[in-house]
Amino acid sequence: MRRGRWLPAMSAALAIAACSNSPYPSSDDGIKVRYIPLGEAPKTLDPAVSYSALDHAIIANVYDTLLEYHYLERPYTLIPGLAEAVPEAQRRADGRVAYHFRVRPGMRFERDPCFAPDAPEPTDREIVASDFAFALMRIADPTVISPVVATFSKVVGFEEFAKRLVARRDADPNFAAQHIDRQYAAAGGIDGLIVHGRYELEVVLREPYPQLLYWFAMPFTAPVPWEAIAYYDGDGGRPFFKEHPVASGPFRLARYEKHSRIVLERNPNWYGALHPEWRAPGAIYPSDGEPGDAEKGLLQPEYVGRPLPFLDRIEFRLDKEDIASFNKFLQGYYDASGIIQESFDRAVQNGGLSPAMAARGMSLAKSVEPAIFYIGFNMKDPVVGASGGDRARKLRQAMSLAVDAVEFKRIFNNGRDVPAMSPIPPGIFGYDESYTNPYRKLDPDRARALLAEAGYPGGIDPKTRRPLHLTFDAGSPDTRSRLRYEFFIDEWRGIGIDVELAAQNYNAFQEKVRRGAYQIYMWGWIADYPDPENFLFLLWGPNANAVNPGAPNTSNFADPRFDALFLAMKNMPNGPERMQIIAEMRAILERERPWIELLHSESYALYHGWLHNVKPAGLSLPTGKYGDVDPELRRERREQWNRPIVWPAWALVAAFALVVTPGIVTFFRERQ
Amino acid sequence: MLAYAVRRLAYGFLVVLGVLGLLFALFFVYADPHDMARRAVGEKASPGVLDDWIKQHGYDRPKLEQLRDHYWKMLTFDFGRSDLDDVPIARRLREGAGPSLVFTVPAFAIGLLLAIQLSLFVAYFRDSYIDRTILLIAVLEMSVSILLYIIGGQFLIGKILNWFPISGFDPDPALIPRFIAMPVLIYSLAGVGGDVRFYRTVFIEEMNRDYVRTARAKGAGDGRVMLRHVLRNSMIPILTNVVTAIPFLFMGSLLIESFFGIPGLGAVTVDAVQANDFSTLRVVVYIDALLFIVFQIVTDFTYTLADPRVRFE
Amino acid sequence: MEGYVVSNAVVGALVAGAAYTVRAVRRSRQWSQAFRELGRRRPIALCAIAFYVALGLADSVAWIDASATGIAAYEPSSLVDRLFPAEFQERSYSAPFAFEEFYGGAGLRHPGQHWLGTDIRGRDVLHMALKGARVALLLGGLTSLIVIPLALFFGMSAGYFGGRIDEAVFFAISLLSSIPTLLLLIALIVALGRGPVQVCFAMGVTSWVGFSRVIRGETLKLRELDYVAAARALGASDARILLRHILPNVMHLVVITFVLLFSGMVLTEAVLAFLGIGLDGSWGQMIDQARDELARDPIVYWNILAAFAALFFLILSVNRVGDAIRDILDPRTVRENV
Repeated sequence: MRRGRWLPAMSAALAIAACSNSPYPSSDDGIKVRYIPLGEAPKTLDPAVSYSALDHAIIANVYDTLLEYHYLERPYTLIPGLAEAVPEAQRRADGRVAYHFRVRPGMRFERDPCFAPDAPEPTDREIVASDFAFALMRIADPTVISPVVATFSKVVGFEEFAKRLVARRDADPNFAAQHIDRQYAAAGGIDGLIVHGRYELEVVLREPYPQLLYWFAMPFTAPVPWEAIAYYDGDGGRPFFKEHPVASGPFRLARYEKHSRIVLERNPNWYGALHPEWRAPGAIYPSDGEPGDAEKGLLQPEYVGRPLPFLDRIEFRLDKEDIASFNKFLQGYYDASGIIQESFDRAVQNGGLSPAMAARGMSLAKSVEPAIFYIGFNMKDPVVGASGGDRARKLRQAMSLAVDAVEFKRIFNNGRDVPAMSPIPPGIFGYDESYTNPYRKLDPDRARALLAEAGYPGGIDPKTRRPLHLTFDAGSPDTRSRLRYEFFIDEWRGIGIDVELAAQNYNAFQEKVRRGAYQIYMWGWIADYPDPENFLFLLWGPNANAVNPGAPNTSNFADPRFDALFLAMKNMPNGPERMQIIAEMRAILERERPWIELLHSESYALYHGWLHNVKPAGLSLPTGKYGDVDPELRRERREQWNRPIVWPAWALVAAFALVVTPGIVTFFRERQ
Repeated sequence: MLAYAVRRLAYGFLVVLGVLGLLFALFFVYADPHDMARRAVGEKASPGVLDDWIKQHGYDRPKLEQLRDHYWKMLTFDFGRSDLDDVPIARRLREGAGPSLVFTVPAFAIGLLLAIQLSLFVAYFRDSYIDRTILLIAVLEMSVSILLYIIGGQFLIGKILNWFPISGFDPDPALIPRFIAMPVLIYSLAGVGGDVRFYRTVFIEEMNRDYVRTARAKGAGDGRVMLRHVLRNSMIPILTNVVTAIPFLFMGSLLIESFFGIPGLGAVTVDAVQANDFSTLRVVVYIDALLFIVFQIVTDFTYTLADPRVRFE
Repeated sequence: MEGYVVSNAVVGALVAGAAYTVRAVRRSRQWSQAFRELGRRRPIALCAIAFYVALGLADSVAWIDASATGIAAYEPSSLVDRLFPAEFQERSYSAPFAFEEFYGGAGLRHPGQHWLGTDIRGRDVLHMALKGARVALLLGGLTSLIVIPLALFFGMSAGYFGGRIDEAVFFAISLLSSIPTLLLLIALIVALGRGPVQVCFAMGVTSWVGFSRVIRGETLKLRELDYVAAARALGASDARILLRHILPNVMHLVVITFVLLFSGMVLTEAVLAFLGIGLDGSWGQMIDQARDELARDPIVYWNILAAFAALFFLILSVNRVGDAIRDILDPRTVRENV
């Protein structure tokens, strides 16, 4: 028995020796590294394909683009990045529009074996205009499966290039074996992408599209070296390109274990590091911003005008459980975090930071995201859709009056978010603070009256003589989402309609959408770029999913007047004329109710006191290069906040001994 | 003996074939290739691109040909690539085996040692109030869902007591102990109740044998008797238990890896299930079944070797 | 036919079946003795189980309330539902016996009447916990209804007829037990769909194997008994022998296994609920919904506590009773005690 007791004691000792709840080695304590939690593994780091906010959070720091957004200014403005200046649109006589980009000479890709596979050390090469053209040709290439083909089809010759490429590949099996850049060259390239010399790129569009410049601030248009595509094909033990970027941003990918961590390190080949003398706008900390930025500590003198980046490393850690990651944030192991619903009251009180959080040196940043969450009706459905005519319209209006977005956000989002009156969120031109949508306030009496007018008195369907039965299709079956769907179902029950929830996963939901077998659904959209066209196009007739599979108008809303107005406003510059058209479009939506607008999400972000220069941005911005940490302060605070409480362990051991000893003693005594 | 070995192996092989057939029926008869394509390629892809993916992965061929291909690939361990992200499945398995083993092996060892010690202790004091109390505690412990152990454990140990990180993993040997401490603790403790009851029965049966009475009568000390004779002669059922549990060590625990963020084979399985990644899922289940069958055969052989009286039909 | 009418009919059938079983038990000395012994050893656990069963039955008897308004006029409510006032749902969280909402302090529709508080959607926790009993019993009952006949059929056939049939059954058993249970469950449910019948079917398919093996072993032994050989010699048909001689003698195993399987299945369902494929309204689902609530500040504990307590006491009682039954009925233990 003596031998047996030694083992648990040793295990306990070992456990206590390992006692520390820090997930990082102590050697990292003095380094300027920022820790960011990731909710799920990234899908792809290929800039032509990646379209999720999560993937962009990583690649925006690795892939630099011709243009960028000014870090601090709102409304968002563009500044030159890899380009020397932001080009103006040049209208041509034939109706086409051209943009001239001049690429800065002397910039280089990061060092990588792909440029000279046989060389002993990885080499690099200069970035030239044809690298940008190559990136856009990849988007056109059907085997890349880029989600933004529709946007870039506006470039002259884009679709034709794709067709020629496919034809050449089908005709000759050896064609596909050639290096990718030769394939593209043999297929004749894209007519609307003209490279002049080494550093000039001309982009020609079929028709005006002022929002194009915003796309040049997104990773889709980042330069890609063809050598990387050729080399990182997954063969011979080499990774795929989508796991191994070769780019030119302020950071480079140092470590990619997509199921546990992703590490970015300073890129010595970044133009900001190679040529600090350029004082390029994208490589120095801005000296001005929005009113209020200085008060928030975003324009501190030790940073203004200084060359970027300040961090040496950025580490993304996979942390699927958001409660666990929030708790780690509180312990000091992540530098910034959103606030989970469960801990909201602990962090925020009376609209500001709670005393407990303030005592820990944290700061709170609120920002309304350029996003809209809504409940949509399938306008092609016979009961709720356009073919139901006046009856169906009144039904939609009634259902819209029964939904209380304020109550929803109170229960599920801690009262955050802005109730939405129209699809356009605050911060985007076309948003009118003074506008109230009469159908977006709770009025159950009016709703019941409308129901009766619609031919469903008391919610009863005269055909079945039971409550009207509708289906609400959920895109995710998990418990959290279900609770939210059930909230709306309860509200409609209140006016007598029996809505059934069909819970399924995202793919099954998309299948239903494809078949047109859905009535009501809930969805959201976050802006790609700061223009109202990016929201109103979700309701444009030709974008209806039923007409154009995969297109974003899942409501299949198709109003001729709305469609005409959309065409009129989409290329207009911002001004009173545009505002007027948008107001009329808004009035149509108000009446027709293809959507029940719910909320514009508001992000509340908490930052620790040792994190500097962080400003929330709804669009994907390369924020990594602007941030800074104070590692000493962090180390100090972590130690202070994470002292292990050891007494329970000893108490447990004592309790066990206490319980067992009398029993053993009695037993031996009895045997005597 | 040899004839028996050959027969046993052949039978095992037949079972493997049967398992593969069942897997095919489950995954491929019900799976819709369009669904899988969309999941892998993304929503915005055009139907032409989806068709390309389906052709690329061979899901458009006749079912019989797919079946033959399935058998051939699985039996030659040619696992191919994941449906979701084209990563070679073999690589994913290799990467996941390490983290899984790093916590299941210590957990199993600790759990086993704890259970055996406790059971010996309890068997020794059988029918005393210690025995009854510990048995009652064991039943109480068994009646609690493992979910509550995990949730409660994380909450208490990670958050309130600050002993170990709430979740996460790092292959750095210096950091491994603190990440696996909680999963090991919870995994080993959660099964102790049931194990104690099982081993107690085994030990008590052994203790009732004549030779034990003889040894006691001859004056051998109690501790000696328990350890030397009872434990040693109970090795067969204990060994059976251990060998049967080995496959589970490889596959990790789906729940624990999920909650504690350990990127092991259990996490691979959960990811595959949630993404309906059938190509990975069938490999995982196949490997698990294969390990199980192999170790069953090993158990049978050890049985035969350990006890020459035992022979199977 | 309306769903609730079928449910009521099933309850009626169950009650009738129970009455018949009671009569059969009383007639047999062996069984009534065993039952009395059980009552002597585990009175509390038996009472607890009886309570849960009564709850489950009460929740299965439902009809439409004529006095209800709105949509409720078209939906049946069970006996358990009728214990609570109509329109009992609040707007969001409230603590047990509270007079105001937990967050924000707004007034409640039924202040002080929610004994175990309300959840995020304002539903009464006690109500949900009570209704969970039906789901758990349905799961255990329906699944056992699948497992026991399957295992009996295959086990007895394999043990009695031997030869090819035995080999085939043994092969099937080896096959199914090689695939890890949880994975097989998940795969089946993903393939078949998420309804209660599919979940029970999947659990049944994965659980019959172990039991079948036991039945097979027992049948092998019984086959060699004298009176069975005599019956064969006299020309009795196989079916008659199986039904008359073998089946009654394996019943004790059926009872033991049923009780032991039951707790295992309810616990497994809790895990499935966490993975999103459990049964609607089960305690596992309550736990899944509530697991984030422990992280709230101030903490919301009543949801998960109620579900946990309900689950725990049922499983504990079943385990205790199961142990006692095994001790009473298993001839091995009987021998030991002699």
